[in-house]
Amino acid sequence: MQSKFLGWALLAPTLLILALFGVVPFIYVLFVSFHQWNPFGANPDMLFNWAGNYRKLVFDAQFLASLGVTAAFVFFAVLSELVLGYALAQALMRDFPGKAFFRTIHTLPLIMAPIIVGSVWKLMTTPSIGIIPNILSNWLGYDLNIGQSAWQAFATTVIMDIWHWTPLVTLTLIAALVSLPADPFEQAQIDGANRRQIFWHITLPMIRPAILATVFIRMMDAMRTVDEVLMLTGGGPGSATRYVGVHIFKEVFPRTNYGYGSAVSVIVLYLTIVVCWLMYVGLIAPRNKGKG
Amino acid sequence: MDKDRRGFLPIETNWFDRLFISIVLWVALSLFWLRFIEPLGLSIWISVAISVALAIIIVKRG
Repeated sequence: MQSKFLGWALLAPTLLILALFGVVPFIYVLFVSFHQWNPFGANPDMLFNWAGNYRKLVFDAQFLASLGVTAAFVFFAVLSELVLGYALAQALMRDFPGKAFFRTIHTLPLIMAPIIVGSVWKLMTTPSIGIIPNILSNWLGYDLNIGQSAWQAFATTVIMDIWHWTPLVTLTLIAALVSLPADPFEQAQIDGANRRQIFWHITLPMIRPAILATVFIRMMDAMRTVDEVLMLTGGGPGSATRYVGVHIFKEVFPRTNYGYGSAVSVIVLYLTIVVCWLMYVGLIAPRNKGKG
Repeated sequence: MDKDRRGFLPIETNWFDRLFISIVLWVALSLFWLRFIEPLGLSIWISVAISVALAIIIVKRG
């Protein structure tokens, strides 16, 4: 009885913080999403409009288009980060001259605020003054203009996200690789397994939980990306990089449409939870079955 | 506490999982209804009634 009370007492601060900063704001956003509320509009009062915002949302072509581009962005960014992050983690597991220096340098993007990353990439990709369009134009004869080309803008946001977040994947996978026991690898080598077989049948299954945790974190993060993209492209050209986060920002801040913005936020949260839950049920739960 | 069990759902679930699945389906059905069915003249309350019935079945038998 005493240990049960002690357990709850120790959990209490965390539960309190979670309730204050997680549950209460969510309930408030949910409450606002059922209202028409534009505090700087003609009628600043909060008017209950039942499912009006959700009704508007399912017919909002810009929102539906933003879901599509966000899905593409998440797919390309997270997949590339995973592949690159694993390759870098494997490379950093070996000894080579300047390893410590490279390890420090490659982690630097992580400590940069997303809005700074967006600004830096904006400077680097601006035609005529940016280093990237200059190099591409002078060396390869290729014109990069993310203000005009939709797919170039999209690809640049993906590359920027990869540049920013691959180090996180690398660090997580290094931690997973370092913690692996040596025995299974030695036994596989004695049995004559080649490197590909060792990768598919030993390394990958053993670091699977770390990979999935990283994918979940990156997916959730990528689905709500705003500041980097807003700084780099402003959601354009057209709506090529108007990801859901950017769409919400534009509804809530410039247009002060708080009710509708809240409804979009709730649906984005819903989609994020459903995607992660489906991945969990499909990929993790079957493996845990029978382990108690 | 309810332990994990297997009902008609393809996975083992506890009562909270089944409640979660019910809410997920409720939201999905409501959005689908608002987009495709309500313009035909059928009220959203029908979708709410279907969702509640579905939730009861899932929580009890799922």
